[in-house]
Order: sequence, then C-alpha cells, then structure tokens
Amino acid sequence: MAAAGAIVMPKLGLTMTEGLLASWRVGPGDQVAAGDVLFVIETEKIATEIEAQHPGRIGAILVPEGETVPVGAALATWAGEAAASVPIASSAPVSAPASAAGTTPAAAPAARGRVIATPLARRIARQNGLDLARLTGSGPHGRIKLADVQSAMANAPAASSPPATSGHRRKATPVEQVVARRLTQAKQTIPHFYVMAEADVTQLMAMRAELNAANAPVRLSLSHIVMAAVGRALIAQPDFNAVWDEGEIVTLGGSDVGLAVDSPRGLVVPVLRDAGAGHLDAVASACAALIERARAGRLVAGDFEGGALSVSNIGMFGASHLVPIINPGQSAILGVAAVRPAFRPDAQARPELRQELGLVLSCDHRVLDGVRAAKFLDAVVRTLEHPLQLLREPAARRTGP
Amino acid sequence: MAEMRYLKAINQALTDAMAADPSVILIGEDVSEAGGAFGASRGLRERFGAERVLDTPISEAALAGAAVGAALSGLRPVAEIMFMDFTTLVMDALVNQAAKARFMFGGQRSVPMVLRTPHGGGLGAGPQHSQCLEAWFAHVPGLKVVCPSDPASAYGLLRAAIDDPDPVVFVEHKGLYAMKSEVPDTLPILPLGKAATLREGRDVTIVAYGAAVHTAMTAAATLADEGIEAEILDLRSIQPWDEQAVLASLAKTHRLVIVHEAVEAFGVGAEIAARMADIGFDELDGPILRVGAPFMPVPFSKGLENAYLPSPDRVIDAVRRTLA
Repeated sequence: MAAAGAIVMPKLGLTMTEGLLASWRVGPGDQVAAGDVLFVIETEKIATEIEAQHPGRIGAILVPEGETVPVGAALATWAGEAAASVPIASSAPVSAPASAAGTTPAAAPAARGRVIATPLARRIARQNGLDLARLTGSGPHGRIKLADVQSAMANAPAASSPPATSGHRRKATPVEQVVARRLTQAKQTIPHFYVMAEADVTQLMAMRAELNAANAPVRLSLSHIVMAAVGRALIAQPDFNAVWDEGEIVTLGGSDVGLAVDSPRGLVVPVLRDAGAGHLDAVASACAALIERARAGRLVAGDFEGGALSVSNIGMFGASHLVPIINPGQSAILGVAAVRPAFRPDAQARPELRQELGLVLSCDHRVLDGVRAAKFLDAVVRTLEHPLQLLREPAARRTGP
Repeated sequence: MAEMRYLKAINQALTDAMAADPSVILIGEDVSEAGGAFGASRGLRERFGAERVLDTPISEAALAGAAVGAALSGLRPVAEIMFMDFTTLVMDALVNQAAKARFMFGGQRSVPMVLRTPHGGGLGAGPQHSQCLEAWFAHVPGLKVVCPSDPASAYGLLRAAIDDPDPVVFVEHKGLYAMKSEVPDTLPILPLGKAATLREGRDVTIVAYGAAVHTAMTAAATLADEGIEAEILDLRSIQPWDEQAVLASLAKTHRLVIVHEAVEAFGVGAEIAARMADIGFDELDGPILRVGAPFMPVPFSKGLENAYLPSPDRVIDAVRRTLA
C-alpha cells in the first residue's frame, strides 16, 4: 500500500511559491515504481521532472496540465488513499481518462477553455471590447446572457470603455537605462526645492526679433539668451556655482552651464563652457554648435563634465512652467517654459499687454538655500527684463575662490 | 363592427368569392346538399346552383384530381377535404400535379385551386381525425399553406387564397369554427405570406399559427402578471412564412418560442428555428424553443388528449426556460 497523502506541488527553491504543472507522465490507475517520473513542473527558471518517492498506484488527477498552483497543493491522489475526501471512488480508476476533470472538487464550470455565452451576449461583448472570460453567467450552466454583459458594462465602466490597447514593449536602450537610473537617483536623493518667477520678456522678444531681422551672424534663440543670462548671473553670484559631492561642497569656477537637449538617443545634457563670459553672439554660436553635436550624436565625454546647473527649455511646446529634476552631479536646473501674453498693470494701474516667461529654478538644498536661489533667479529675471545689458561685453570673468 | 364566427367568416368568404368570380366552384363530400360537414358551404348551393357546388362520393383522390383538372382548365375550384387526416389520399394530385404544373409548363399554366381542410384535436376525434399535417404540404415547392387563427383572418386569407394563381392548402381548425369575434363591417382581403403582431412585448417572441395563437395569448396574459412581456406573432401563412417579421421581432426580444399544435418533431417550428438560428444568430440571447405535440398519435381519451395538446402552461415553461 502506498504512503498516505496526496501528490503535492513540491517546493524546489527558497523563493518558489507556486509552480506550473506542465505535463502529466502518469494517469489515473497507473502503477508506478519509486523513481518513475510522475509529472513535469515549470518555474520561471527551469522545467523539472518530479519522480515518485515510493511505489503505488495513481488515484485521481486533481490538477490538469497547464494549471499554476501554490506549493503544497494536491495534484493527484494515490489509489486507496483519500477515498473519503475525493468524490469519485479511487478504487475504480477504470473510468480513467474522462475522470480527470470531474474529480476536481466542485470545479466543473471553471473548466478552462470554452466560455458559455449566448450569441447576443457574444456580439454585444465583442462590440464593447468586453472579455467574456471575466464574466460570470447567470443562465443555465453558467451561460452568459445579455443581462450579464450589460451589468458588467454598467458596473465596470473601466472594463467596458475602450480596452487597454495592447501596446508594445521593448527593452530600454542603454542610454535610456542610464538616464532612468540617474534621474531616479537624483529625484530620490537630492532634496529638491523650487523657486519660481515670471520674467517680462516683452523687450527681450522685440530685441531678439530686431537682431534676427538684421542678418545677424547667428540666429538668436530664447535658449541662447537664457544661457547667456544664466551664465552672467553665475558670474555675478559665484556662491551659487557649487555642488554637493559625498559630504563635501565643491564651489566651481567659471560659468559653465548645462543645456538639456532632446537628441535621437534620448535626453542629453552637454555643458556649455563659460556661458557668462562671451559676447551674446559667441554664446549663441557655441550653443548652436553644442546642440548640433548633441543631435548628431557627436558629443564626447568631456562635453558632460562640469557645470553646477543646467537649463531645460520646453517653451516651444507651450507649457506654462517646467519643474525639472536636477541633473545628477549638479545642484540646480532652470526650467524654461513658453512665452505667453499677459495683462499686467502699468504705472497708472491700467492693463498693459506684456509677454511673460515662466521660470522654475530647482535647487539642491544640501548646497543652496532659498535666499541664494531667489537672488540668483532674480538676477536672471532682471537680465531678461533689461536685455540691452546682454549686448554689453560681460563683466570681467571672475574665478572661484 | 359586428360579431362573426370563424365558420361564418369562411362561408362569407366563399360566398363573396363566388359572387365576385363565376369561375369559382366548390367541390367536396357533403358540401352541396348538406352545406358541408361543418357547415362551411351552407346556403351556397341555393344561391349559386348545384353546378357550382358539387357533391362527390367518398373519393378524396378523385375530387382532388378533378379540382386540379378544373383549375388547369380555367376554373377556380375550392375543394373541401372533411378532415386533414384524409389528405393522405390527395397527395398525388396536390404534390405531383398541382404543385408542379407551373414549373413543368414553363409558367404558361398554373393551378389556381384551394384545398380547404380542417386540422386539430380537442374534440375527442382520435388519431385519424385530429392530425395537423400542414408541414407535409409546406415541404413541397409549389404549394402554399395558410392557417388562420380568427374570423377576420379566415375571411381575408381565404379570399386571397382563392384569388391566388397557385394551389393553396387552406387549413382551418375544427376547434375554432365556433369562435366568435368582432370583425370590421368590410372585411379586408389579407395578403398571403404576412404575419400579424397580435401583442407587443419586449422579453420574448412567441410565433404561432391557427388555434395555437390563442394558447400563446393565454400564456402571454399569465406571463404579463409576472412582468414578462411576450410579443405574439400570428404567422397566418406557413408557406411562404413571414421570415422578416419573425427576425424583426427576434431582434427586439432576443428570444424565440414557436408554438403549434402539430407534432414538434420535423415540424413548422423546426424550420423557423433553423432559419432564425442562421439569420438571427447574433440576436439570440437564449435557446430557440418549440412547443408542439409529443411524437405520438393523437389519443382518443379526453384526459390523454388534453395532456397531448400544447397548453398555455407548456408555453409558459418554454418562455421561462429561454429567459433563464
């Protein structure tokens, strides 16, 4: 006589909680010897043949092939055992093949495969993208009727509204993976704080239009101008130009500023050297060249070094503000949004149409504080609001302490 | 409006048809001097003369053959077979001659005859005087089969059948002869092949013809008390039958029960069910069910016959099953 108990899903590793019964190698009534393969299970790693630990005769198969069950769940019975707990007499295994499903206790309607539904229920479900397999039918034999489909649609609008499109899954490219890892780390480890301002760029826009109309050597973009303004603010406020590095605060010299560029390989942030030092045209040319190389994928490792802050401009897409994540290794980033018209009171408190630019400065509170951030942002805003200053040669380049 | 009995409506239709068209003649056993076994032709011999209302011996095959010949020769005979059970004897004339003539003569000839005959049980008349054999005729290309359920449709359909250029088997129900109902003062001629919606409903369509229509109506009244609204279609014509009307109703209620007194197996209901399972498949929200007589001869015994005939309770059961 075989040992007591059912044949169960074994635990093949510390982390295994369930297994897929891939195939049976025995059927009800089969006589097996110790070492005979009873069934094959699949885990996420491997398919494993499970052998009989002792001789005996198989009673009923409780779990059909293809089912995933928890570790320890009964898969089959030994004949002569468990006759009391298993509905069919395990002493009569002659009804072998057909008995497999029938012996699953009280599980008859759950049989996988065919869904029993009326033609109308099928049509309405199909038209509404409803999966009949998820419904319970209220008709005879669990038949799904129109009423069941209708109540499912009424109760679960999420399920009945356009189904989640199947979409597409792909592996992130190496660049995307690096970006994802670094930005996750930045957002999770840098204590961000934010200061915001609206810059009145009415004059700036007029000036830029005039300069661009005058056949200038480089066509000025708002990004170029902001880069120059930020660079000059850095020179004016050198204590802002600092980063956190493993418990140390490193103050940088110069006025290097990163610029976020949407390249075919993903978002990249190359650094523009001495953005605050050169003439506006020179900054614009350097900026244009940097963007060009970024888009062409010709940036080199050195292009990413240095800079305590960056500029990210999404103005061309119309957003009012951008609250950016600090680029790892830096301590601030300026989010530049769209130029938008706004009525502002003039000196006589009459509405005047102005052009405004929404700016958000994200800062690392380990290095910076609200006062320094607000002063820095104000310096940028003042430069943008009094753009003729930008046409001057910048103040003498100041080196860091 | 006036009240009229079913039998009188048939008598009236025959009278009006004979008055309107001198080529209409009657032929059958006891139709002339006796005015018909059930009285359908009462008074017609007196009004139209013995030469247009002809008595024959007990000779169904012969009188049917004579009717086919008369029809091919230019008359519009209305033959009466006393019980539908006896139409076994007219089959050659009907099936091989009347039904085929138009086709075999390339459309140059047709057989504008009507064969009137009563079917149905309920009178304790036993296995040989109670059968509903309309499906036999409906199976034969070239024959039309009509089965009215009330006085007005009996009149309108019989007039249309007599006017029709092709052979029509006009099936009456013995149990309906005494039925009385309100009819319009001027009874209209009703088109063949068109069903009538006798009751509107949203939950289930019940298709019936002849006396079974009333069984369905009784069932519908009981179902209405439970909040189940049955739509009832009186088929009126069995061949051709109003497929579009049945489909339209099925598309509204999504459930179909077909009721007839004839044996269920291989019957008219089987044809309707099969067609709707095809062209109405995506409308079905429950099985198509038939309610008909069991597969056995009609019993003599009153108790057995009552159990044999489709009852409102059986219709109600079927409706509940398809709504389950």
